[in-house]
Amino acid sequence: MNALRLLVVYFRIGLLGEAQYRVNFLFQLFETGLGMASVLAAIWVVFSQTDTLGGWKPAELTALIGIYFIVLGSINVMVAPSLQKFMEDIVTGNFDYTLTKPADAQVLVSLSEVRIWRLADVLLGAVALVVSIVRESMVVGWVEGGKFLLALLAGAVMVYSFWIVLATLAFWFIRVENILQIFWAMYTAGRWPVGIYPGWLKWTLTLVVPVAFAVTVPAEAVSGRASGTSLLGALGLACVLFAFSRWFWRVGIRKYAGASS
Amino acid sequence: MSTVIEIDRLSKSYVVPVRGAGVRASIVSLVKRKTRTVEAVKEISLSVEAGEVVGFLGPNGAGKTTTLKMLSGLLHPTGGTASVLGFEPWKRNNDFLRQITLVMGQRNQLIWDIPVIDSFDRNRVIYRLTREEYRERLDELVELLELGELLSKPVRNLSLGERMKCEVAAALLHHPRILFLDEPTLGLDVSMQRRLRTFVEQYNKRTGATVLLTSHYMADVEALCPRVVVIHHGELLFDGKLADLVRKFSAQKTLVLELEESQEDLSRFGQVVSQEGSRATLRVPKQDTAEVTARILRELKVQDLNVADPPIDEIIDQVFSRGMA
Repeated sequence: MNALRLLVVYFRIGLLGEAQYRVNFLFQLFETGLGMASVLAAIWVVFSQTDTLGGWKPAELTALIGIYFIVLGSINVMVAPSLQKFMEDIVTGNFDYTLTKPADAQVLVSLSEVRIWRLADVLLGAVALVVSIVRESMVVGWVEGGKFLLALLAGAVMVYSFWIVLATLAFWFIRVENILQIFWAMYTAGRWPVGIYPGWLKWTLTLVVPVAFAVTVPAEAVSGRASGTSLLGALGLACVLFAFSRWFWRVGIRKYAGASS
Repeated sequence: MSTVIEIDRLSKSYVVPVRGAGVRASIVSLVKRKTRTVEAVKEISLSVEAGEVVGFLGPNGAGKTTTLKMLSGLLHPTGGTASVLGFEPWKRNNDFLRQITLVMGQRNQLIWDIPVIDSFDRNRVIYRLTREEYRERLDELVELLELGELLSKPVRNLSLGERMKCEVAAALLHHPRILFLDEPTLGLDVSMQRRLRTFVEQYNKRTGATVLLTSHYMADVEALCPRVVVIHHGELLFDGKLADLVRKFSAQKTLVLELEESQEDLSRFGQVVSQEGSRATLRVPKQDTAEVTARILRELKVQDLNVADPPIDEIIDQVFSRGMA
């Protein structure tokens, strides 16, 4: 598994690069903590008026927030910075070097940049998730746990594939940073379960930007309300999206090389 | 010797949008896009033997870089065929990529914020080198390029020259059989240019690797490349020895005279390039050289006389401004 060895090397490089700025970790922790506090405050305000929100209880929503931060951190540790760098490399022409390497270009591009300190998001997200489970003594058995991990995996694959598709657009339209802004705006909506949004937005968040699968579905799984079929659907869709992103990336590479086929 | 590169009528044309100046034109072009085809490389054919060092000459936009990019697998040609080490480059087979390297003078592959050695380590993993291979090659390159204390510095703290040395080392860790060097000495000072040049020469002798090099600096090509390929407007103008290029394209000779006393007007002998005191430089048509020299020796009191080809830069310049000879 050369991809795995590459992953290790890039993580080491990322660690080396950022270890010089240890104080950044504290800043990151502070920033994430502040972000999380404001979201939790919003939840508290909502639940001071009502007992459930679209069928979600406070503890379940806190778990959802935890998952939201876990996924956010995961994107920001590697996927987002790497693909952002890839877009810069397209502009500067440094991408040529990636193509002369005897390794899968998509793998190289996806790993190229690591922001270790963004693991703070993952850390705080995990804390929120665990605390909400323990405090409300939600029963999370093996089944729910397994479902949750599967749902999280499917969501991660979908978000990654989605980013690859967005980044691949750079082969045609040099400047796609703006499209990434759209992703972030949509992702922010994932702090609430998508079920509470009006229909059109719900569908956008489910099928266009896979926020529902990345955050809501895993949260449903952990609170024991995800059905087997919705999980299977998520896994199936993850496979389809991944295959599509892979195909699209290849088309992009061919375009870059100026191949007419 | 075996042929490692075989190119047959290789061509590349781009379709580029055409747009007039001004707001109106740019709005129109949003709706109705006019395009035009630019032929960057036109039916170039050549073959290169293992171990050769070939210099590509040509003005900006001549098609040198496009050719190198096709040979290193970055670009797909629009016509013709090419075989490099038996591979079709643009298929980008991993076995092919492991045997070549590309260095581009104006771009960098080292990671900016971390020590050089860690970027090297990344390449070790990408090229799947064993620790022993890596160690051995690293030591060799460190010695040849005098990298010693640079390895532990972050790339951003290096001077351009130091960075280029490291870039070259990073590109050679996997012992490629073919080196594509695109303007490797761009922007470097004279002594660093010479240093890099000597290194490429040594490397070629030591490993027998084939080198294809483009450069703006004639000195690079003069020092390194027994064989030159001249490309202009995407077409191959010349392929052969540098000396033959000079013979073919230089229509004039330069006469440098050292006279016993400063002379009046010398223009009756040829075109006066410079005249300072007793020293003068003249330019005469090649076929008249013998006759003019004889006349000068007869009519003037000459201390020293030297017949030479004009500087290569000048010849190349003439070639390009004339187009085809």
